[in-house]
Amino acid sequence: MSRAASRAPGANKRLAEDGGASQSFLSSSLRKLSLQQSQQHDPQSASRPADSSSDICNVCKSSRYLNPNMRFLVNPECYHKMCESCVDRIFTHGPAPCPIAGCNKTLRKAKFRTQTFEDLKIEREVDIRRRVAKAMNKEESDFERLIDYNNYLETVEEITWNLILRIDVDETERKLRLWEDAQKAELNPNATFRRIADQPEASQLSEGSHVVLKKGGTQRKALAASSGNTPDPFAVDESGKRDTGFVFQGLKKRKAPPAEKPFDPFDGWSIEPQQYTLQEVHDYKWLTAYDSDPAYYVGGWDTRDYYSRMMEEAFGGMCVFLEDEKVRPLGSGSVEIGTQNAASVAQGMKDVVMDDVF
Amino acid sequence: MRFKIDELEVLFPYPRVYPEQYAYMCDLKRTLDAGGHCVLEMPSGTGKTVSLLSLIVAYQMASAEKRKLIYCSRTMSEIEKALAELRGLMKYRTQELGYEEEFRGLGLTSRKNLCLHPTVKREKSGTIVDAKCRSLTAGFVKEKKERGEDVEICVYHDNLDLLEPHNLIPPGVWTFDGMLKYGEQQKQCPYFTARRMMPYCNVIIYSYHYLLDPKIAERVSKEFSKDCIVVFDEAHNIDNVCIESLSIDLTEDALRKATRGANNLERKITEMKSTDAEKLQNEYAKLVEGLRAADEARDENAFMANPALPDDLLKEAVPGNIRRAEHFVAFLKRFVEYLKTRMKVLHVISETPPSFLSHLKELTFIERKPLRFCAERLTSLVRTLELTNIEDYQPLQEVATFATLIATYETGFLLILEPFESATATVPNPILHFTCLDAAIAIKPVFERFSSVIVTSGTLSPLDMYPRMLNFNTVVQESFTMTLTRKSFLPMIVDRGSDQNQITSQFEHRNDGPVIRNFGNLLIEFCKLTPDGVVVFFPSYLYMESIISQWQGMGVLDTVWKYKLILVETPDAQETSLALETFRTACNNGRGAVLLCVARGKVSEGIDFDHHYGRTVINMGVPYQYTESRILKARLEFLRETYRIKEADFLSFDAMRHAAQCLGRVIRGKDDYGIMVLADKRFGKKITQLPKWIQMALETKNTKLSVDQAVSHAKAFLREMSVPWSRTEQEGHSSWSIQDLERHLAKKKAEAIGGTENPGMRAAEGRAERPTVVAVEDDEFGGAGMDEVMAGLDG
Repeated sequence: MSRAASRAPGANKRLAEDGGASQSFLSSSLRKLSLQQSQQHDPQSASRPADSSSDICNVCKSSRYLNPNMRFLVNPECYHKMCESCVDRIFTHGPAPCPIAGCNKTLRKAKFRTQTFEDLKIEREVDIRRRVAKAMNKEESDFERLIDYNNYLETVEEITWNLILRIDVDETERKLRLWEDAQKAELNPNATFRRIADQPEASQLSEGSHVVLKKGGTQRKALAASSGNTPDPFAVDESGKRDTGFVFQGLKKRKAPPAEKPFDPFDGWSIEPQQYTLQEVHDYKWLTAYDSDPAYYVGGWDTRDYYSRMMEEAFGGMCVFLEDEKVRPLGSGSVEIGTQNAASVAQGMKDVVMDDVF
Repeated sequence: MRFKIDELEVLFPYPRVYPEQYAYMCDLKRTLDAGGHCVLEMPSGTGKTVSLLSLIVAYQMASAEKRKLIYCSRTMSEIEKALAELRGLMKYRTQELGYEEEFRGLGLTSRKNLCLHPTVKREKSGTIVDAKCRSLTAGFVKEKKERGEDVEICVYHDNLDLLEPHNLIPPGVWTFDGMLKYGEQQKQCPYFTARRMMPYCNVIIYSYHYLLDPKIAERVSKEFSKDCIVVFDEAHNIDNVCIESLSIDLTEDALRKATRGANNLERKITEMKSTDAEKLQNEYAKLVEGLRAADEARDENAFMANPALPDDLLKEAVPGNIRRAEHFVAFLKRFVEYLKTRMKVLHVISETPPSFLSHLKELTFIERKPLRFCAERLTSLVRTLELTNIEDYQPLQEVATFATLIATYETGFLLILEPFESATATVPNPILHFTCLDAAIAIKPVFERFSSVIVTSGTLSPLDMYPRMLNFNTVVQESFTMTLTRKSFLPMIVDRGSDQNQITSQFEHRNDGPVIRNFGNLLIEFCKLTPDGVVVFFPSYLYMESIISQWQGMGVLDTVWKYKLILVETPDAQETSLALETFRTACNNGRGAVLLCVARGKVSEGIDFDHHYGRTVINMGVPYQYTESRILKARLEFLRETYRIKEADFLSFDAMRHAAQCLGRVIRGKDDYGIMVLADKRFGKKITQLPKWIQMALETKNTKLSVDQAVSHAKAFLREMSVPWSRTEQEGHSSWSIQDLERHLAKKKAEAIGGTENPGMRAAEGRAERPTVVAVEDDEFGGAGMDEVMAGLDG
């Protein structure tokens, strides 16, 4: 409830809703009991400077006095405030330049919104922070030491400040993009590898062309300049490392999860015979006759099944040593010896000879 | 007189001791020996303070380790009284023992009361005095002076540095007057003398806040060792003090000022960057290391207060994103802007800290961790910038404190936003209340740190409520009564008027004509029969105003006017003090006066109406709190959920402690007498919640009276009181000489050999138990009823 409420658009809405029923029952006498000392009334606080300035639309000069339902909107491109009707009037037919003198930004109607904070500077700052927070999202647990984390936080703060104060915006943006891509690459290596293979400059191209369409003339030039000297984000420098925009000390190496193996229903347990080797063909006259007898093979009877069954029955329970079973209940101790013997036997002779392995 | 409790020799500065004082001291000693906390209730006017002091001083002197006594009281006048008692006691000890003991007793109060600086002391407001004093005494000011810059400093403060740091003032007990005189003589600052001498004192007497308010306690009371004995005197309101010390209210105005403060800070930082960038760099370097390392010099020079921070936090380094000064200021600005946004809402919001924090993060990307460091970081910044006009940054400081508190505590706090001042208001005037619901949070460090904490007052019934609310365990809980030779006070419950109509301040009936008329008749009758002063307490200012205006229409006031001068308490402190002065004058020379006041006002808390100033006290209605308050509702809910105290129980307990406090105003000693009238039918069911000493004097025949019956009882009582009486009559019974004491001890010893616990013996010592009821005394603390309630909750 509170969350929704706090998003209420602010001063603008307040006067409009003044008539609404209030729920406060707090009497004045009780308030006196509270800790708060008597609030001094200085003349500056009596009048509300924020409200009075926000009452007139800078574009059409209409004021809230005449139109109490007026709403003010801002566009995050330039943060110039204007009333809703002006926005409708100017921007309904597609993008248009900002009507405030000296501001040449091209604005679109869809981007207009009500402001959350009274102070537009803060509004802008928070937008920038949202952008930075999207890229810089490391947590304390990602770092080896606390001081590394703190240094990271400070760097992030500096990036934000650069963007806010418009110092080195292009450079910072570039670095941020690099970092973002690097993070993405780290998180999901497959996605980026494919991209490099398919269309090496896809990100660059699409980004650039996309922006140029939207931006005004001056910006276009700046962008062209910046994108001109932007190196390929996946270029590998001399030391063999990729340029990630920022380097943070003490960042824990991300361990890639081990590649997934094919599903094995027996979880590594083998049902291959271990004491003997089945051969493809065993040369017993009375048996080979069945192989070529349609009466048998048409019905699906296979001599190999017969061999394997016979061998299994013959070796069942063999090579199991009680002592070893006691020590290693999983019963793999005797198996090795048996396999070795079986292997040597298999190599030496054509057929399995029931040699005494014990 | 000198006597022994067990093996401990106690020097008592009066020739006689009251039995209850003796018993009180025995229990105190038991507590100190056992090393735990205790709750003791003893009526006002029976010499609580002197018994406390004489036993603890005797205990200190006898033991080798010399446990320090920290005596906390509520008001300035009580602190002064305690200091005077201590002084008398030490004088007596010197005289009895024949030599002077090495002993220091000091009191501490605000700078405003102890300042000697010629210009600073003329300031009226305490905060301005504090700020001005800081600007003259801060460490960097002195450094500047040494560098040869022309800055103003305080001579009184600087002279202290010339003295030996552990011997700024000779041994002895120093009252505030004495300190001021000595300071003037030696040209040294009494405030800082007291502050710096605290580690070397045997007894320190100061206000609760120095120990309970974490913002102040951190600096003032940090260095006390664990074995200190802490006494909270007049502690019946201690839970409210605890809660208030951690609650913060923010208004739009405060936020605007905070923004201004933040802008000022920003400007200062820019200035400093151009002139003295090195300093900022130094601070930064220190902050990289850790917060505590940044200010090892946390002595009295610390500028601003910080709320309670867990120790592990203080050892940690400041988060990187608020390490740089300009980043931090922007951070603060963002936070203030966010709060402003929240204030715009037009309906009431109540929210827990975690929910607030998550919304804050969503909207402004402020994390919890830097928020926790806010107050501490601001202190550091203010110190680095060497700001002198601290008072300008007060609102910003408040916001920072709020930030730290809300990020530190998840439970026990609630955020309530009230956009309108009253239900009918249409112009929003939002207030953001950050209320502490749990009194135990503020007092917890005290109970954890000190081995013996003694909570004592005249009205603490029911005794077990306090340990539950403040969440501690006691080794001794005892309630004492006043041993009296004659019945010197007459409590009565009046539940109906002469017309048999009820008397009550219940909300549904409080404005009924008959009820108001009956209240009026009650007042008229008692004004007629009482000699000298009458004090009347109403539940609230609002009700008092409405009833007075109705009385005016009924002609009640005109009748009262014939007998007494009528004076009224108002919320304004100065008006009230004028009214009080007039009241006293009228009582001194005339037919007396009647003072109409409010049960939770100033008069009910700190003013004594001893002897002829108060012969009758009337409680018109049960002084319940305003139950529609959201803060109170939240607290009640918290108490129910956390400590399993039912809403009704707490409200009734709270009302009765205030009622008892009002009644206690008129009896200030054994030779005082007075009538106590509880005028509400609901009091009949709340008798058990009165302090034991009032309960015992309240006879059953006095519990359901009509106004005319009460009048006849009161007349008989006054006639009885007018019989000539001298103090000698109480000797041996309610006042013991040394022989009486010895006789009692011998008797007790004999009884002990007999092996039977004699209730008569307890009664003789003034312990609160009715001699007739032997076994079922558990109800003494109102505990039995409470347990049933608990059982009901469980089931």
